[in-house]
Amino acid sequence: MASSLHIDLHKISKFVNLSIPALFVVFLSAGHFVSFYFHFFTVAFLFMVIANFFYMTVQKEHVILKNFGLMGQARYIIESIGPEMRQYLFASDTEERPFNREERSEVYRKAKNIDSASSFGSQQNFDPSEIKIRHTMFPTPKEALQPFKITYGEERGLEFAYTITRPIMISAMSYGALGTNAVRSLARGAKLANIPMNTGEGGYPEYHLMEDCDLIFQIGTAKFGVRTDDGLLDDTKLAEIASKPQIRMIEIKFSQGAKPGKGGLLPKEKITDEIAKLRGIKKGADVVSPPYHPECDTVEKTVAFIKRVQNVSGLPTGFKICLGKVSEFEVLVEEMKRQDVYPDFITVDGAEGGTGAAPKAFLDGVGLPLLVGLASIQDCLKRHGIRNKMKLNASGKLISPRAQLVAFALGADAIYSARGFMLSLGCIQALQCGNNTCPIGITTHDPELQKGLVIESRAPRIANYVHNIEHDLEELLRATGCKSFSELTEENLYIPSDTVLGNYRLNSPEVQAAAS
Amino acid sequence: MKNNIISWIAQLIVVFILGQTLFFKFTDAPEVAEMFAKLGMGPFGYKLIGSLELVACILLLIPSSTIWGAILSWGLMSGAIMGHISKIGFEGNAGAMAGMAIAAWLLSCLIIFFRRNQASFIANMFGTKSSNEMQS
Repeated sequence: MASSLHIDLHKISKFVNLSIPALFVVFLSAGHFVSFYFHFFTVAFLFMVIANFFYMTVQKEHVILKNFGLMGQARYIIESIGPEMRQYLFASDTEERPFNREERSEVYRKAKNIDSASSFGSQQNFDPSEIKIRHTMFPTPKEALQPFKITYGEERGLEFAYTITRPIMISAMSYGALGTNAVRSLARGAKLANIPMNTGEGGYPEYHLMEDCDLIFQIGTAKFGVRTDDGLLDDTKLAEIASKPQIRMIEIKFSQGAKPGKGGLLPKEKITDEIAKLRGIKKGADVVSPPYHPECDTVEKTVAFIKRVQNVSGLPTGFKICLGKVSEFEVLVEEMKRQDVYPDFITVDGAEGGTGAAPKAFLDGVGLPLLVGLASIQDCLKRHGIRNKMKLNASGKLISPRAQLVAFALGADAIYSARGFMLSLGCIQALQCGNNTCPIGITTHDPELQKGLVIESRAPRIANYVHNIEHDLEELLRATGCKSFSELTEENLYIPSDTVLGNYRLNSPEVQAAAS
Repeated sequence: MKNNIISWIAQLIVVFILGQTLFFKFTDAPEVAEMFAKLGMGPFGYKLIGSLELVACILLLIPSSTIWGAILSWGLMSGAIMGHISKIGFEGNAGAMAGMAIAAWLLSCLIIFFRRNQASFIANMFGTKSSNEMQS
């Protein structure tokens, strides 16, 4: 339908392409006959004439520029500021990804210790397909709540069993992915809040150790920090790291929600002297992170590898996994029973987990979402009667108390969050994590960008966030009528059948067995 | 690497050509006043031009803004050449000035080409793939 206000951009661009040389001639004459000052414009239009000639005839890469010339640049210029404009002005409070403004501002408020009560009603799309928490008519009185306390390694009666007293922990973010100030702010905040922090797979945790907080050392598939020259586990190095008093647990990373089944490559350009030293690698050659541990190419060897790390470190040792095939996990569990080797914890990562950089195809398309993965693993462990042999940690976009409580109800013993803590540091979700250009100075090594991230001012925000999350979690817990998080079950949730989890429940082996 | 060195040499020559006249422009030297008078420009005019030349020199010497300095010096030299063609002519001293202006103009073109990736609208002129993945 043609409207009277129709703007024909093709005609406009033709007009512009004719006007530029015409104006050049006009100003050239004016400069010659009226005043030489007009030649400032002459020169500007000469530049545009030349640029337009190159756009439309010389270059062959850009279709828009070839067809429409200089006007085509307007598209690129306006498009390039689109993300900022959308975030500043046009995106609604609930439509950005991965975290919308409402979710982010909840974290900011918690980190700044500002009251997070909202008025008039929920901003969420309140459709019936949301998982909700079922409250009771008789909430738990505050004094009846049992203090949160879980001990990793108690099942094996370890000498160095590790007890946490707050329900959330800082998930794996390596030095390398994060800059110095970010790592130290998080570590100092963890110390203030008395929670452990996962080192990520970035090798020897020099900056994490500076702040003296409790650490969970993560072993990635390239074994950074504890590797031999050919990328296998070096027992002496592991024993040495595990002997540090700050290192309280070891986490073997089997897979990560953001890119499960995918290895990585550290290009040689990125290997500085410091990175080479911390990660235990050589400069001048690319280092490959294989998609799985070279030691773990069969189920038997995988369980044996867990045993080996447990023995060498003497610390509570578990693994992180993003669930793919439930049947595969079942085989793993059977092998654990056969060898009588159990990890002290399993960290279940959901496909919604974040990362500094992953191929979009993996980020968007691979792995089970957390709720289904967690429920599957919980069911599987229970079915085999070994749920009491280990703890379950849940991770994957768990930044709000509501999501965290749902994870507790599905069987988690503790919660891991990474991006929640990045937002507490002040992350504005600029989506620059892989580019070394983070405007907040979190995921960059550029000293100019890091200088704004003052450790003294950021560390208390981490502690505030933990404190306020814990407060909200306890309030939610009391509303359910439970006295501790371990009492929560799926009975405390309202799971509509048209959610991913509800659908899974309808088709889960338990339900099918009960039906037949 | 080789282009980088060539570009730096060109930058230094342009800075030298532009820079050596600045002293005369800012001290109201009679030769300068006489030459700009032919263009109908007084002290304001040649001091404005001189200021812009100073800015161009500074931008040319800062690695991250080289291309902007080159574009500015290209523009100033285009104006100078037009001045010589239309009003000043090429007699005696003016001829030497014109020669230097032409040299600086050519070198500016060279610098713009070598540093094209510093500004995507220049990179687009040569069809080089720019880092902006949205461009078709």
